[in-house]
Amino acid sequence: MAEEVKKSRPAPDPNSAKYKLGQIAAKAYSDAMEAKKRGEMVGWCSSNFPVEIPATLGLYVCYPENQAAGIAARGGGERLCSVSEGDGYSNDICAYARISLAYAKLKEAPEQDMPMPDFLLCCNNICNCMIKWYENISKELGIPMIMIDIPFNPDYEVSDAETEYIKAQFWDAIRQLEEITGKKWTDERFKEVMESSGRASRMWIEATSQARHVPSPFNGFDLLNHMAVMVTARGTKEAGDAMETLLKEYKDNHDKGVSTFRAEEKYRIMFEGIACWPWLRVTSTGLKSRGINMVTTIYADAFGFIYDDFDGMCRAYANVPNCMNLEHSRDKRIKLCKDNHVEGLLVHTNRSCKLWSGFMPEMSRQIGEACKIPVASFDGDQADPRNFSEAQYDTRVQGLMEIMEANKGGNK
Amino acid sequence: MTANEWLAKLHEAASCPKKHMERYLSQGKKVVAVAPVYTPMELIHSMGLVPMGVWGADVEIKEAKKYYPAFICSIMQTILEMGIKGEYDGVSAIVIPSLCDSLKTLGQNWKYAVKEIPFIPMSYPQNRKPDYGIKFTKAGYQRVISDLTIAAGAQFSEAALAESIKVYNEHNQVMREFAEIASTARLTAAERNDVFKSAWFMLPEEHTAVVKELNAALKEGPEDEGKARVLVTGILADSPSLLKILDDNGIKVVFDDVAHESRQYRIDVPDMANPMDALAQKFADMDNCTLLYDKEKKRVDYIIEQAKAHSADGVIVLMTKFCDPEEFDYVPIKRACEAAGLKHLNIEVDRQMVNYQQAGTMIQAFKEMF
Repeated sequence: MAEEVKKSRPAPDPNSAKYKLGQIAAKAYSDAMEAKKRGEMVGWCSSNFPVEIPATLGLYVCYPENQAAGIAARGGGERLCSVSEGDGYSNDICAYARISLAYAKLKEAPEQDMPMPDFLLCCNNICNCMIKWYENISKELGIPMIMIDIPFNPDYEVSDAETEYIKAQFWDAIRQLEEITGKKWTDERFKEVMESSGRASRMWIEATSQARHVPSPFNGFDLLNHMAVMVTARGTKEAGDAMETLLKEYKDNHDKGVSTFRAEEKYRIMFEGIACWPWLRVTSTGLKSRGINMVTTIYADAFGFIYDDFDGMCRAYANVPNCMNLEHSRDKRIKLCKDNHVEGLLVHTNRSCKLWSGFMPEMSRQIGEACKIPVASFDGDQADPRNFSEAQYDTRVQGLMEIMEANKGGNK
Repeated sequence: MTANEWLAKLHEAASCPKKHMERYLSQGKKVVAVAPVYTPMELIHSMGLVPMGVWGADVEIKEAKKYYPAFICSIMQTILEMGIKGEYDGVSAIVIPSLCDSLKTLGQNWKYAVKEIPFIPMSYPQNRKPDYGIKFTKAGYQRVISDLTIAAGAQFSEAALAESIKVYNEHNQVMREFAEIASTARLTAAERNDVFKSAWFMLPEEHTAVVKELNAALKEGPEDEGKARVLVTGILADSPSLLKILDDNGIKVVFDDVAHESRQYRIDVPDMANPMDALAQKFADMDNCTLLYDKEKKRVDYIIEQAKAHSADGVIVLMTKFCDPEEFDYVPIKRACEAAGLKHLNIEVDRQMVNYQQAGTMIQAFKEMF
């Protein structure tokens, strides 16, 4: 039997955005691990919790959604989901939650380890499923849970009543965290964090908006990796620096006429929904092989937290995807489609996410009509590999491509 | 009238909600649909409107498939289906709270699928107990008042709200009394359900009057003996086929933790100077429900306490398919039942079930454990 010959890959350029962003994402885990070893308290935090709060208090937090995505992308999704199902959790429950509940039980996963939590920071602006998931972990592990409730907004704008409610909860959460951890809030530190978060957000939005160029200077799948930094570290100076490097690279790519999309860009689409992490390569290849570049996603907008003061921060966290009404959600996507010259919309009907998928058929119809672009959907799951069919994906993408081609006049 | 005659009257109301709606409309009243699980019915009633519950129905889903993927609970899907098909025509508005992810999407879909019936959102806080939460609940109520004024031309007054609160508190008390009487009185699972289900389709003062008479008659009647005693928990337990299986197997529902049933009647509006404050306080006081933030999982303890208090030998979880809040709660409920020595059974149900053989076999096997 011949020995496996591994191709040696060139050492990554430590000055590249990819390297810097990868380091920041990895460091978030290693810093938390080291903090735990030193005896410091570590929290688990939902992805759209106002990270400015733990960052200002100097707390180490990890992100179970990010961990679950990592575990799923590295092939561990089904194994951990099965552990939770064995405990009695339905396989209809969000796969991130199933993975996380399994990890809370097993306390280790070779795909992505994370220190066990001393407290939980939950925010339901992404979904109410998050509440139940964290309730169960809080009860199982006997640790405090801090819940910031940001209700689904039925209106276009965030009302004063909602802002006031959110603001009171933010201060309540800060007070509780001070009590639990002994750390102290200072307005000076908050100002620094707010500025870092704002800088990282501006750079992120500006970088992702480079997709307005035709061809795009980047492959949209890059964003799915880079956004991890916006989730876990947007309140840090390093995140802003790395995002600035990313922006510069994308601008340089455009100037030089190159792209990280390693194929001829024949079609440009928006990808709707969370990535199919267990099938990332398949979903990416299915597009690239047809010359389809996913030039934008709602993530391009979602992690842009730009505000000027504490009240502004409260409103920003109420204006995240899954917390906005259909019209507001639709208009943000229409803008992304138009700004980035999108020719088709590919919708991931994500079995794990009832909220994201529950009004997507109507919203995507409206986006398609407003932008005069075809819409195709496929069934999948963000982390459970069993809920995806490669053949269906292939057929749907092919269909979308044929309509985009016809719209270009290619099939006349 | 005998208990059976009162039960027949309630069965008729539970079976023919449309007839009741038409009766109210013919009396010149306006009807407002209220979606699961909690809405400020006292408020709607105080504005001279008739709140009627919409919890979907056992119907085939066709039109709603244009809006919903298959993995959304069938309660939401069939509410939308019936709205699209005109089953709620005549209703002035629908109030939909956003207490779960699927309910959030129901309101958004409703705006486009059933344009002729205005959607009125009710945003409740999950952090409902602190002062800031109570204030937000009141803001939600103000929004409902404002939208009802536009949709139904109705007017609000604090004096009328105070009167409606009395009506609803009395109804709560009578329903709680019924639940206790039903734990021993000779009554089938289907009859018990009729009493709860009919409450959604009748004005509370009318329903209170009937249930009071029923309670008096049941107290005089015989007790159920020799049956397996269970507590039923879940969102909904109104499937006639499933209830018949319980009855056929000699299983008696001695108490429930069902959202459509007893969860509605646990908490009264407290006596406070301002009725709006009092109504908001009621929501703050509510607990032991999967849709209300519950970090200590008090609902689980509540189920065990109530099972013991009503001498139940087991707990049946009627799990609404795709209801993730209930699915999360199932594991701690199961563990608590095991720790307490209570037999337990989890049956997945939905509005699309046509074949109950599997459920029948499970229930039969469950009964044999007693």
